Amino acid sequence: MGVERCGTGAGGGKTLPCQILVCPDCDLLLRAKRPRPGEKLCCPRCNCVLDAPVENSVEKTMALSLTGLLIFPPAIFLPLLTLDILGLENTGSIYSSAQAMVRSGFFFTGIAVYITSIIVPFVKLLLLFLVSLQIQFRHSNAATLFMFKTYKRLDEWGMLEVYMIGILVTIIKLLHMAKIEYDVGFFCFIGLLSATLLSSSFLDENRFWNEIHAQMLEKEGKAGEVEVEAQPGSNGPTESAVTK
Amino acid sequence: MVCHECHMVVPMPQEGKGQASVYCPRCGCPVHARKPNSLAHSWALVITSLILLFPANLLPIMKVDYMGASEYSTIMDGIIYFFKEGSYGIGTVILVASVLVPVFKIVGIMIILLSIHFRIESWLEHKTLMFRFIKFIGRWSMLDIFVIALLTALVDFGFLSTIAAAPAAPFFCGVVIATMLAAEVFDTRLIWDAAAKSHGQHEEGRGE
Repeated sequence: MGVERCGTGAGGGKTLPCQILVCPDCDLLLRAKRPRPGEKLCCPRCNCVLDAPVENSVEKTMALSLTGLLIFPPAIFLPLLTLDILGLENTGSIYSSAQAMVRSGFFFTGIAVYITSIIVPFVKLLLLFLVSLQIQFRHSNAATLFMFKTYKRLDEWGMLEVYMIGILVTIIKLLHMAKIEYDVGFFCFIGLLSATLLSSSFLDENRFWNEIHAQMLEKEGKAGEVEVEAQPGSNGPTESAVTK
Repeated sequence: MVCHECHMVVPMPQEGKGQASVYCPRCGCPVHARKPNSLAHSWALVITSLILLFPANLLPIMKVDYMGASEYSTIMDGIIYFFKEGSYGIGTVILVASVLVPVFKIVGIMIILLSIHFRIESWLEHKTLMFRFIKFIGRWSMLDIFVIALLTALVDFGFLSTIAAAPAAPFFCGVVIATMLAAEVFDTRLIWDAAAKSHGQHEEGRGE
């Protein structure tokens, strides 16, 4: 933890390469160099995380999103729990819970459950897998850009971890009423949740944007000026970002 | 200016060129100095969720049929039930997720919006922190809806016992979605504009 200052250009001594950043949360103009993997670049004024590189981000994200996609169908369609009241058995899966909501006449609520617990999590994993695959094989194009943007938009609306707590609350609610058995779907769901959470925590956004942009420029034949270079001038930013 | 989609720094357009829209060279999104009409959109969505909050909490959210008799319960009934049963932990989780979080979100965003209107320059960092917290907890109120959906699927024993959602469920969903959208359209940089004007750190102010 320390404040790292890079060269200010005008003064003497050696000037380190650094880029100009603008904090997206408070609009402070900053100069900083890219932090090393594991470090975080933070805005000194509002503490917004500006950049948090991850080592081998593309490979890790690709592997985890593929894992998530493979485990997705059993986690959603296989029964999570079996309820046993007086010898009568009943099972429920994530899919059947959304369906039950629609069937009991709550169309809007049912659709919301479908979207937040099935459609968005699946689309998110699929998009992340395709984007990292295209970056890995240097095939980024306009579609990659669109997919990554869509992923960013959908990010908040996938609510698997909320559903997980929902399952736990349901178990506690029913515990004294009936015998509960945990089924295959329950364990697959935990796997799916872990894969989703890990894949998004290994995602190095800045790297993804830069890679997509550089590869697209390469295709167009322009040797890219990707980074915005710091220009020494009177209007330059006065503060440096803090590396943690 | 900074692109709000991919955080790339984009130069401000020259003055005199009019309000030509600028597009981010990296991700192609239109770039604005501030999200357009951010305050108006946030206000509209916060007021929507405030209105929806009343039916969501006052109407019954769950219907339990047991041996032919129907019993309706509101969110508060469910929480009181858990506290009476002695399950304080789970009662607290539901109390926080489905009552306190929506109220806190609405009140918090309203405080931020009002302080922007009255140009209050103090507590800027804390307001930003509170907003980030509001954004983070936004999705957790869906908990109750998921629990009811799962209960509907699991407890379905015909005449013996069934559980279904009740009229408050769509309103409750509406509150969650409206508050999440309100946080989405709000531009945190507006919090800092009040301070920047007096300290001269604002981007537009620097050119002079």
